[in-house]
Parts: sequence; C-alpha cells; structure tokens
Amino acid sequence: MPPNEFDMTHVVTENCIRCKYTDCVDVCPVDCFREGPNFLTIDPDECIDCAVCIPECPANAIFAEEDLPKDQQHMTALNAELALLPNWKSITKRKAPLPDADDWKDKTGKLAELVR
Amino acid sequence: MPTPINTDALVIGAGPVGLFQAFQLGLQGIACHMVDALPHVGGQCAELYADKPIYDIPGIPVCTGRELVERLQQQIAPFKPTLHLGQTIETLQATADGRWSVTSQTGTTWITQTVFIAAGVGAFVPRSLPIEGLQPYMGRQVWFGSQELPSFSGQNLLVTGDGDSALQTCLDALGQAASITLMHRREHFSASAERIQAFQTAQDAGQIRFVAGQPTGVDTTADRLTALRYLNTEGEEIALPCDQLVMALGLSPKLGPVAQWGLDMERKQLQVNTETFATSAPGIFAVGDINTYPGKKKLILCGFHEATLAAFGAAAHLWPQDKTLLQYTTTSTTLHKRLGLL
Repeated sequence: MPPNEFDMTHVVTENCIRCKYTDCVDVCPVDCFREGPNFLTIDPDECIDCAVCIPECPANAIFAEEDLPKDQQHMTALNAELALLPNWKSITKRKAPLPDADDWKDKTGKLAELVR
Repeated sequence: MPTPINTDALVIGAGPVGLFQAFQLGLQGIACHMVDALPHVGGQCAELYADKPIYDIPGIPVCTGRELVERLQQQIAPFKPTLHLGQTIETLQATADGRWSVTSQTGTTWITQTVFIAAGVGAFVPRSLPIEGLQPYMGRQVWFGSQELPSFSGQNLLVTGDGDSALQTCLDALGQAASITLMHRREHFSASAERIQAFQTAQDAGQIRFVAGQPTGVDTTADRLTALRYLNTEGEEIALPCDQLVMALGLSPKLGPVAQWGLDMERKQLQVNTETFATSAPGIFAVGDINTYPGKKKLILCGFHEATLAAFGAAAHLWPQDKTLLQYTTTSTTLHKRLGLL
C-alpha cells in the first residue's frame, strides 16, 4: 500500500511555551513528544493522531492539525522542525512544569519566548 | 505450562469495536474469545470518557461512553464470548498448520484460526513514577494503585497520586498502617467531592499527612527500599522514610508489542485492505483505532463497519469453499437461531 496521503498529525501550539506542564507525555501511546528548554513538540512521524493528549493539556495547547486556530498554522512546520533538533530528546514521563508555568499559562503571542 | 485454548477467533481488545466484533462474529456463527488489559470491558469508552456524551452513534442521539459499553454488552450477550480480562498479549506467532499461537503476559495461550486486533491506541497500563530503581521492589514494597494491595498493617505507607484511587488507598489503610502519607506535586486533588472530604477529615485528625513533592529517587539498604527521595516546593531534596509505596497515578495507553508481530505497519498502525480489514498476514484482521488505510477516520462508527466486513472476511477464511451469504437479522432464521430467538 502506498504511504497514506491523508496522514495528519497533532500539533503543540504556542500556548505551551514557558509552561511545559508535560501531562500530555504520560498518555501518549507512542512516545512522540520531544522536550526543548521551554516547549514540548510532537514528532509528526511518530504521532498516530489518537487525540488522547488533547484533553490532558492544562494550557489547551494541543490541536489536531485540521483544527489548528488560524493564528497557529505556522506551528505544524515548527513542530516538525523542532522534533529534529539533536538537543530535543524524547520525553515519556511527566515531570514538574516550569516554575512560573501558571503565570504564563493564559498569555498569548509567546513565540518570541521560545528557546531552541 | 497450562493447556492452550483452541478457538476459531480471538479478539484482542474489548473496547467498543472489539465488543461489536464479537457480535458480528456471532452472526457469522463464529464463537470467540476476547482479551483485554483492563479488568473490565469498554476500553477508551470506559477509561477516558465514561461520563462524556457521544453524539455520533447511528440511531442513538446521545449516550455516554459507559452507556454505549453497557448497550454493546447487551447486544453481544447471545453469543457469550469468553472474556479474559486483565491480560495483555505479548506474542503472536504462526503455527505449522496455518493457525496462530497467541500468548498473554500471564501465560495463557490461544491457538486460533483468526485474530482480530481491536487494540485501539494500545493496552492501558498503570503509570509508574519517573524514577529509577523501583523494579526490584515491585510486588513486595512497591505497588500500583490498580493492583490488589496487601494489608499495610503496622507499616509506614506512602501513596503518590491525586485521584480517587490514591485517596482511597490512604483511606483504606486508616487504623491499620503505622503512618499514612500522600505525596503529589501540589495539594490539589482530582477526585470525587466525597472522597476529598473524607481525606481532609482524616488529615485534620492527624491520621494522614500530605506532602507536596516531586519524587527523584529511592534510598535502599541491602534488599529493602527504605525511603523515597523528593524535591520539596523549595527545591531541596529530602528523603521520606517508608516501608510500602503505592503509585496510584492512573493508567495510560501503550501500544506495546503489536509492532513486533511482523505485520505491515505504517506510522505504528496496522495496514489493512478495506474489503475485509485483513492485515498482511492471513487470518489476522485489524479494526478500530489501530488500523490505517486511505481515508481512515478514527471514529467508533467506522470501527463498527470495519468489524462487520472483518467478520465476513473471517467466514471466508474459515470456510473458503463456502459462499458467505449476506443475511438480514429482520428475516433470516439462521441469524435468529444464532441470536437465540428460536
């Protein structure tokens, strides 16, 4: 069978930046999350679109690609790019969120805060 | 080693699609055994959205996950599938005579003509703490909240978690354990109001202690675990002595060994043909969230369709010389007999 051209992925949006609650990684059946200094990304080659992570995120940061808000469309490509960075390692178990996560949780326009 | 169970069909996964698979197999006159990792049927419907409303089941304007599972159980009751709960499948191998040998982690073996992989996003397994060194003490001093727990009489008990199971484990040990401590990263519980109330009452009476912390490791001497190390809210590492540790952190799905069964996969999902939902191996079918094909949508109702065609595929596999007839449950006496109506 040829590769499925309808393959989609799930995407972590800017809401995660400077929060990184990590609740999502605990439920991922295929360990597709990668951890950066202040953001989690989904490796689109690993994600199986099961959607189990969406309701886990306290910051509502995760969307199915087709449901991405208009102002977050750029995050699909950014997730894929960050997932390939050698210092972004697989994270499979929940850990403490960033210390000031709650202060950053409801802020928008955080893209400039992203650390690679 | 226990005697293998011989069967025509084995369904792996007792979620909504696995349950409906048993129904469709029943209509085809194929008896089945079903296996699930959870101690109850229902899969994601029971674990992830038992109380959430579902609006897209044909003919049922709205029902919760739990209600859907109850209705499916009623529907499959005439066919009496043999349930094997609390078991995860480890291996699947071809036998010399063209059947399949399937084994679970508890040592049960099935020899079956057909296999239906309805494993969803994987087996729900208990979460463990993200620290090293617990394994040697499992089943002696370290437990999962979902396990059958021993009496903690006279022991210093430490429970981690924030849900109903964590709180209930503490409450169950009242009057028995020498001390009871609950640890979570913050004092906020996701449990029922009554259970939180009961917990707080015991806490106010000094019978249970709450500690906010992030576990970092364990202290051990010779063959005993003596303490859990954790970071407190000030970021200092502290050792909390304990005799028994219960990790009541809930369950999460893990795809597990499916990928090692030699079936054609794409992005960790099983490739199927859409005529019979057969995988790349004869006699093995994949239905529901675990399969992929062009246009795949992970919806329960699509899984029902897949299970129906897979049952027809199984009938053709089991009896290749017979023509598999399409019969209607409204009129077919054969189907009425199978449904126990005649």
